[in-house]
This record gives sequence, structure tokens and C-alpha cells, in this order.
Amino acid sequence: MILFDRVTKVYPNQQVALSGLNLHIQPKEFVTIVGSSGAGKSTLIKLMTREEAHTSGKIIVGGLDYDTIKPRDVPLVRRRIGVVFQDFKLLQNRRVGENVAFALEVSGAPRREIKRAVPKMLQLVGLASKEDRFPQELSGGERQRVAIARALIRQPKILIADEPTGNLDPKNAWEIIELLLKINRYGTTVLLTTHNKEIVNALKRRVITINRGKIIKDEEQGRYSLEGGK
Amino acid sequence: MIQLFRVLQAGSRNFMRNMWLSTAATAVMTITLTIVIISFISNTALTSTIKNVTDKIDISIYLKDTITAEERDDFQVALSEHPNVESVRYVSKEEALEAYKKENQNNPTLIKGLEFAGNPLPASFRVQAKDPKQIDGIVAITQRDEYRGLLDLDKQSTYQGENKETINRIVRIANFFKTAGLVASVIFVIISTLIIFNTIRMAIFTRREEIEIMKLVGATKWFIRGPFIFEAALYGIIAAVIAVVLSYALLLGGAAKLVNYIDVGSTITFFQNYPLLVIAGELFIGILIGAFSSMLAMSRYLKL
Repeated sequence: MILFDRVTKVYPNQQVALSGLNLHIQPKEFVTIVGSSGAGKSTLIKLMTREEAHTSGKIIVGGLDYDTIKPRDVPLVRRRIGVVFQDFKLLQNRRVGENVAFALEVSGAPRREIKRAVPKMLQLVGLASKEDRFPQELSGGERQRVAIARALIRQPKILIADEPTGNLDPKNAWEIIELLLKINRYGTTVLLTTHNKEIVNALKRRVITINRGKIIKDEEQGRYSLEGGK
Repeated sequence: MIQLFRVLQAGSRNFMRNMWLSTAATAVMTITLTIVIISFISNTALTSTIKNVTDKIDISIYLKDTITAEERDDFQVALSEHPNVESVRYVSKEEALEAYKKENQNNPTLIKGLEFAGNPLPASFRVQAKDPKQIDGIVAITQRDEYRGLLDLDKQSTYQGENKETINRIVRIANFFKTAGLVASVIFVIISTLIIFNTIRMAIFTRREEIEIMKLVGATKWFIRGPFIFEAALYGIIAAVIAVVLSYALLLGGAAKLVNYIDVGSTITFFQNYPLLVIAGELFIGILIGAFSSMLAMSRYLKL
């Protein structure tokens, strides 16, 4: 599903963000990536969504070799991967339903399909009654649910959640994590990055620890620690 | 198809959302396109005026109604014998009336008036000089005692020498206005390009979050760029329509005052005969300026 083979990323300012990173994630896995700021987590995600191009090595996501994709195919790559962020990235001047519909509109989905799909997705994330609200009228947890609904509306095989709970209180944070687990049970590969120790330790899922652009630990039922070893 | 519709929809929405900036950009574009039309109009009108004026470079000697056929022949022979005379053509009162009627066929009241007044036009000699600069000798013939009494006193005979100064001046002024129109058009096209460039630049900045999200959810480059191009083209489209109406109104309003000085008739006829061509031309220029400046702004400020 996701394969990184000796991937190196050097930014134009000579900063080495990833150096020879190997990573293999199977379909339907739930993987948490931890690491201190600047360890390379964000770069890893940017390479997956093709916001940045890798310097060397091989990246294959969903059967697609990133060395062979043309610039104009990049939007198609992004449509296959759902992404949510710490700051939600919602359009403030559009209603909840419109925000979710937006992801379908840009890909040219017919209006009838959008009308059918949006309420279903909002129901899945537990916001069925808030379709006509604006983002400012929602709590942080609800906003993140809208972002998740938008990321999932095109039924991607992979959902990347980059610090989705960073702006949320513990209760809301847990609700988001439970939602991600539910999505994972339905068959979507979930890639979570977080700094929240309690969440990582409670999840008891695969944990990958990154430090200085390399994977220093990869455990099937990992715990949160930023140091190598125990 | 649905993609195109959504791009146009987003473009119009952006236009409405930035009402003030959009209005300013459209206003500048309207001024530009109006200047372009007016420059075009005055160009054709002035060219046609110059042609009319230069056609009139011959000497017209107007004759009294009481002149006898004998006196007339005598005068004509005397003129023809002058070495600098190319030709002398006699224009009778009837011919003069016909020509006048033809010139003013669009003015039925004038022609009707003529019928009541009888024929007020004098007969004349049209003298073509070999060397238009040396007409003193020809003028001298008309001032001989035996011919001076034959001249029509109400209508002053015109000599090229006197007209020449005026004609030259008209040509000079006309050329000045033609150049001025062209220069003004170019300057305003540049100004509106810069203003639209800036408007779109600001639109890109205010919508950078939206653009980021569009990229995130997999919008294609043209889906992101399209609304900006359409927004700028919309300034051009609206401005073109206003400019055509405005300049046509100006032309009709000004025609009555201008008709004595320059030939606006042909321009009005052009407007009336080819309204679609005028509108299409303006739309083309407007959309071109809009699309070009927005693309320029995006190439610098919208990195996808």
C-alpha cells in the first residue's frame, strides 16, 4: 500500500529532512508516527501527498510509483489520499455541508451524487444535524469531524491525520481517535501523527518513531517514547 | 462541463465578494475601452474628413445668375488660355443643385426647403490648376475689369491659395488627434493591465487559504486558476458593454455639434451597420486585457 525505499529528502537550503528512510505499511493498517518536532514527520506526509518531491529513493503509494507521475497527475494522487490537519483547514465562509461537498466539486462530481453522498458522510462522523452550520459555530472536535468527512468523501484508501488532536481537549481528542479507529475498521488505512503520549499508549497499535530523518523504532504494539531503545 | 460551470460560478462569486475592487477594476477598464473606441471613431472620422477636404482643392469661381452665355464662354476661354490652368469645368445652377441634394440626401427637411426657395445655388467654374502653388495668375484673370462684374457677390469664390493654409491646418490637427488617440489608448491599456494585475494579486492573497484547501482536496491547476481568469475577464466583459453604450451615446449626442467640423456620419453609419463587430471587438480587447493581466499575476503569485 505504502512503500518508502531508502527515501531521502534534501530541501533546497541543504537541510536533510529524511535520509534513507524505509517504510512499509500494509492495507488496512492503523499506524501512528511519533517523533519530536523537526524529526521528519511533516516531510514524510508531504512526500506522500506529493506536496514535495523526494530527492532520491523510491516511493510507491497505492500501486503508483511517484517517480513516474507527471505534474498534472498530482491532483489525481491527492484525490486518492484523504488528509486532515491540526488546524482543520475549513473554508470559514461555507457551511459544513458545503465544505464536505467541496472535495467532490473540484473533481467534477455531478450535483446529484454530491447531494446523496454528503449527508451520508456527515452521519458517519456524527454531524448529521449540523450540515447548515458554519465552522465558527462548531466546537474544535466538531470542526475536525468536518475535516475528516471532507477527507473521506471521495472514499480514499488512505487517510492521513497530521496531529488531528493537537488543538483539542482530551475528551474531544478521544472522540476523534475513536472516529479514526471506526474508519479504520471500515477498511481505510490510517496514518496518524501525534505528540499525545496517552493516546499512543492506549491505542496499542503499530508505532513508528522517527528521529533525524530516520526510523529508529517500529513496534507492532508500540509505546510513546522519543528516544531510541527503551 | 460541470467543471467549467463551477469555475465560472466561483469566478462570479469572487467578483461579487470583492465588490469594491471589482468595481474599480471594471471602471478603469471601461475608461480604457471607451478611449479605444473614441480613438477608433475619431481616426475613421478624421481620415474621412481629410479626404473630403483635400478633394475640394480646386478653385471655385461663382458666377452671377444674370450672366449671359456669351459672357460665360468668353470668361471660360480666358481662364483656359492661362498656362497654369489644367482644366475649366462649368457647373450649371441645375448641376449644383443636384450635387447639393445628393450631398444632403439624409436631410429631407433641407431638401424640402430648397424646393420652396427655388434654386439659390450659383453656377460656377471649377478650375484645376497645373501647379496648385502658382495660382496668382488665375486669380488675376478673375479680377480683370471685364470679368469682375460677372462674379457672384453673395458667395465668395474660393482659391486654393487661401484654402491651402486652412486645409494644411485641418490635416495637421487631424493627425495630431489621431496620434493622441493612439497614445492615450496604449497608455490606458497599460494602466488597466496594471490595475487588474494588482486586483488579482490581492485576490490571490485573500484567498490563499482557499487555494491551499483546493490543492489539498485534489483540484487541478486550471480549476484553481480558472476563477481568477474568469473574474478578470468579467471586468473586461462588463466594461466592454458599458463602453460601447457610452461611446455610442457620446457619438450621437456629439454628432450635432461635430458635424460642422468633421465627418462623423460615416462613423455613425459604421456603428449602426456593424454593431456586433463593434461589440465583439471591444469584448475581445476587454477579455484579452483581463486574461493577460490575471495570468501575469498568477504566474508571479500563485505557485501551484
